Amino acid sequence: MIPPPSALYSARQEWADVVPLPQYEKANPLAPILYSEECLSFSGVDRHTRAKNPPDRDATDYLRAVVKAGEKSERVLQLTEHVIRLNPAHYSAWQYRYETVVEIQWPLDAEIALMDELADKYLKTYQVWHHRRLILTLSKKAREELAFVANILQKDEKNYHTWAHRQWVLAFYNDDALWAGELDFVDTMINKDVRNNSVWHHRFFVVFQSGVRDGEEDRERVVRRELIYTKQNISLAPNNASAWNYLRGVLEFNKLPMSTVATFVKPYTVPLPATLVDLVDVENPPPGKGAELPCVAAIEFQADVYEEEARSASVDKAVELWKSLAEEHDTIRKKYWEYRIQQALLSV
Amino acid sequence: MIDAANTSMSSYTSPHPRIYIRRALSHQPPAMSRFSEPLPPLARASHISHAKHALARLPGSLVNLDASRMAIVFYCVGILDLLGALQDQTSDMERVSWQTWIWEQYAIGRYGTGFKPGPFMSRSSTNSGHDSPHIIMTYTALLTLSMLRDDFARLNRPGLLQFVGSCQNRDGSFSSTPNGGGDSDLRNLYSAFAICALLGDWSSIDVERAIGFVDSCRTYEGGYGQLPSCEAQGGTTYLALAALHLAPPGPRPRLAPAEKARSEHWLVHSQDASGGFRGRTGKAPDACYCFWGGAALRILGAHDKINAYAFTQFIASCQFPFGGIAKAPGQPPDFYHTYMSLAAAAMYAPRVELSARAYGQWDFTPFNPLLNAREETVRWARSYIPARTS
Repeated sequence: MIPPPSALYSARQEWADVVPLPQYEKANPLAPILYSEECLSFSGVDRHTRAKNPPDRDATDYLRAVVKAGEKSERVLQLTEHVIRLNPAHYSAWQYRYETVVEIQWPLDAEIALMDELADKYLKTYQVWHHRRLILTLSKKAREELAFVANILQKDEKNYHTWAHRQWVLAFYNDDALWAGELDFVDTMINKDVRNNSVWHHRFFVVFQSGVRDGEEDRERVVRRELIYTKQNISLAPNNASAWNYLRGVLEFNKLPMSTVATFVKPYTVPLPATLVDLVDVENPPPGKGAELPCVAAIEFQADVYEEEARSASVDKAVELWKSLAEEHDTIRKKYWEYRIQQALLSV
Repeated sequence: MIDAANTSMSSYTSPHPRIYIRRALSHQPPAMSRFSEPLPPLARASHISHAKHALARLPGSLVNLDASRMAIVFYCVGILDLLGALQDQTSDMERVSWQTWIWEQYAIGRYGTGFKPGPFMSRSSTNSGHDSPHIIMTYTALLTLSMLRDDFARLNRPGLLQFVGSCQNRDGSFSSTPNGGGDSDLRNLYSAFAICALLGDWSSIDVERAIGFVDSCRTYEGGYGQLPSCEAQGGTTYLALAALHLAPPGPRPRLAPAEKARSEHWLVHSQDASGGFRGRTGKAPDACYCFWGGAALRILGAHDKINAYAFTQFIASCQFPFGGIAKAPGQPPDFYHTYMSLAAAAMYAPRVELSARAYGQWDFTPFNPLLNAREETVRWARSYIPARTS
């Protein structure tokens, strides 16, 4: 689109008809300061907050003026773009921009093209994604959107906003053609980084939490597929909390006992044997060469299997495993394991 | 789990030029496993001057365009409140001027009354609809005014209730501004619940529908995502659990025992071997998640199931030599992490015996995890914010 103007609005002929409205501030202002990245989604402070200079003030003086006059025009788009570039968390500028886009029937493709650039630039700003969603609701170009998200995820594979946006696109349009490629996409992402929890979560959303699609009606088959998939990934990288959480999630969601995968789990709870079995058992892939064992998540899982049996002999075995976690393998959670021991003994 | 930790660390310190500068600044903390060592002292005076400096700094160049100033004011005043410095180390004049500034962000509009993040869209003391109050900023403003012991004589309670109600969407969620304006997620919902709890009046919102929205944000991991179908995250998990516990009692328990156990499990596993908490499975620890995860566990009554000593030691190691606390050791500090870390420490720092009280101790007064303020401040808020019956 039109690049933001370099000269002050007050010096520009095409804005001569607008009387700028300065910001109203009476009391001693309480000052902000330069902020740093990450976690800012919860701080309420946008990461692009920074010291402002006179041109910024000039632009917002004109924004206040056009809002007051209710002007909706192409130059208002130019002005809001300018203000947004200066402060992407300026929610009033975004809101007025959206209203203007709708009212003057601005080409949505052009708006999305601009948003492509801004999403890339201000990846962690809530408003960028909110506006994008509003525009997409009008443009309905979902397929292109999934490609865009896939591309943006290459830069930051765990970006929360980007994943949330992808989930929204899929759920909002809920079109079979859109869902069709999703498991392959997940697979590609997991192959890139098997410990990316965002992808595992996305897989759960696609497989279990977004309805049943063509070819997935046989749920038993789907569950079996998911269990094998997870077990294979655990065998490649046993110390991966994301995969273990997924395994637990699949079982719990489908109301299957934890003992369903007991045979698989067992070899991961002990040190790696000197000679590995060269048997291909799809249901129970063994730990691979060089695996760091015993695996804490496996020990914990095994203890839960014992606890589930709820017989006093099996509870004893669970207690033994929890003790080994508390004393040796997972000492940071000592108090938690002691609590589990106490609870289990109480319930026997 | 060493291999997992290494992987997440390497993606965490991405090849970004700024990281190298930070590395150069870094003062490496002592090895994290030595939990028997005494805690490094709490640099109380440095943190106080860090916050006071920011509140007092008023160059005209910083005045403009900021959509988050109310939050910064909340963190800075909050730091002073947590460190017990607000009454002794600031003047009456300062506190009154801060109150005055906050009240100037109070807006009366078509959809009721509330607080804006700052004066960035203000043309006068009344608004148009493009100068709307913001629900998160309204929650932070009410708490900040309570820290400053405001009498809330200026608060229009019916207007505030109307504003909160007008932010609720059909699916039960809340938007940041009225009538479906702005982004909608658990941050806004929590703020709405906190405001209703402070007012002691839930009549303007549909609580059960809101709870339904919270439930839909639950994930298989036991945490909550920011929106339905989103990944479990420490911050949103706190917001969800706090909202469920702030809400008035409903027809059935807000959290089934199995759900509670699953949440506890996920939260307890958020504690990294360093003592710090991570925000999501597989990510590096960050001081702000010590607050979110720690407060969530407090709310569940499960605070004695984590290693509180290692927790406090991680926070202590994130202190910046010249004041303030960073997200991780050796990183530059900011007000958000400073406030959150101190609030986290207020809940978990090992109790200091009266006889052992000394400067530099991690010693705090009781803290309220549901509303995110000192108990004394919450008591003030609960007695001055609701409508007077007299």
